[in-house]
Amino acid sequence: MNGRALQWTALGAVLLFLLGPFVIILAAGVSDGETLTFPPEGVSLRWAASVVAIAELRHAFAISFALAVLSTLGALLLGIPAAYALERLDPPGANIVRAVVTSPLVVPGIVVGLALLRYFVIPLGIGVRPALLASHIALLIPYAVRVVAASLRNLRVDIEDAAIMLGATPLQAFFQIVAPNIRNGVIASFILSFITSFNQVPVSLFLSGPGISTLPIEMLARIDFTYDPSIAALSAMLALLSIAIVFLAERLLGLSRYV
Amino acid sequence: MNARTRGLLLLTPATLFVFVAFLVPLAILLAGSFQRDDGAIGLQRYVEFFADPLHQEVVLRTLRIGALVTLAAIALGYVAALAIVDLSPTSRARLVGLVTLPIMISPVARTYAWIVLLGRTGLVNNLALQFGLTDAPLRFLYTEPAVFVGLLQLLLPLMILSLVSALENVPRDAVPAARMLGANWWVVFTRVLLPLTRDGLATGGVLVFTGAITAYITPAMLGGAKILMLETLLYQRVNVTDDIATATVITALLVSMSILAKLVLSRLAKGRSK
Repeated sequence: MNGRALQWTALGAVLLFLLGPFVIILAAGVSDGETLTFPPEGVSLRWAASVVAIAELRHAFAISFALAVLSTLGALLLGIPAAYALERLDPPGANIVRAVVTSPLVVPGIVVGLALLRYFVIPLGIGVRPALLASHIALLIPYAVRVVAASLRNLRVDIEDAAIMLGATPLQAFFQIVAPNIRNGVIASFILSFITSFNQVPVSLFLSGPGISTLPIEMLARIDFTYDPSIAALSAMLALLSIAIVFLAERLLGLSRYV
Repeated sequence: MNARTRGLLLLTPATLFVFVAFLVPLAILLAGSFQRDDGAIGLQRYVEFFADPLHQEVVLRTLRIGALVTLAAIALGYVAALAIVDLSPTSRARLVGLVTLPIMISPVARTYAWIVLLGRTGLVNNLALQFGLTDAPLRFLYTEPAVFVGLLQLLLPLMILSLVSALENVPRDAVPAARMLGANWWVVFTRVLLPLTRDGLATGGVLVFTGAITAYITPAMLGGAKILMLETLLYQRVNVTDDIATATVITALLVSMSILAKLVLSRLAKGRSK
């Protein structure tokens, strides 16, 4: 075998290792059998239907969805002004601020959850829902700042200066000139943040209580006593949902540039 | 109002938020690791933590799995990234998309695939039974290799993406030039490609190593209570025995290991500019 062929075989093997598990999840999820086996016994969507029928899972899905949307909006609301200030206004202490707002990226999630539970939720008497939201916003701010800052860097400063010279206020210049130009970056950041929050487990572990559980945590809790293909069906549905979102985003904006 | 004041005003909400809802609670938790039972400052909690053989085992296992996953990701990452940058720009973008895809999918769903594969009635056991390699189903789940494979699959895309962007910056004729001058593939790799892609290797290395040592989902699902890593140990200690003393020490270990890995590897990346 020559070098080229060897190289392609190796790449194929790596891709199989990365993507093969999804094929397996998909196949196991549409199995008609009573127990989780691979290869699956027959084809049916009854396990997917059974998952949707479980009220706790529907509830957890609703919580995860609302949490992902709200925390993404919160992170963008806080992150866009910060990114703009860091890129354009040369504020004092910019490096320290940059380190502070990106620090949630380097701290293990489970530690974040525990620290917030002990020294934010309990002493301040905050409910589990707002605490969960606060933890996810803190987690997502670095993504919002990073992606929006990257889009701002690609936008020439002088078109904004021109607007101001022509009589626009800084606020008008931002909303009429800058905002339309960084729109794709903001949308990309929205999608990345939504997916990050929706899939997040360690941060939420200590911050979920009775009746307030996110979908991935509810799944984790059920794995230990589920022997039928229902969790596989749910995993397959989640994977397909993510693939659809990523595919659309890639088509519309070229998402992979921002990862 | 001048630009600097406006900048400060725009930065304040985000900074304040991260401070109150993240840094301060974290700092209190970290400071707790240096508190003795009598309230004074000291290393008692660390001494007690490391006196427990189980804790030693978990720390060593976490470091071992982190190192092995990183080494395997480097090897497979170069193989994949070298093949990907060899492609035409269109297929290159398509493959980068395929590699990015798993990052977007729920880690719980991704890890569950390994339960389907490696479980008692999973594919591997079914094949082994069919071909008479074994008489009874083998146990793969809740072993260290299972955790290793799960983490590698989870984190490998990050290494591939870092190496692809590093290799894209290598001058196109560097490799043919070295080959023409008589270098074999090993020499080309160690003397040309490796030094030129050091940055990407360091970035990928930090992401994979810290991702592996701070993983929760994979060791929880594929390692269970038998193969504890630092995060699953922390969860168990807090949730089962409400042992905050141990949790503060684990927090300090995880945070310092992540920061140390980042410092060491970015040092290595900058080494060539000397």
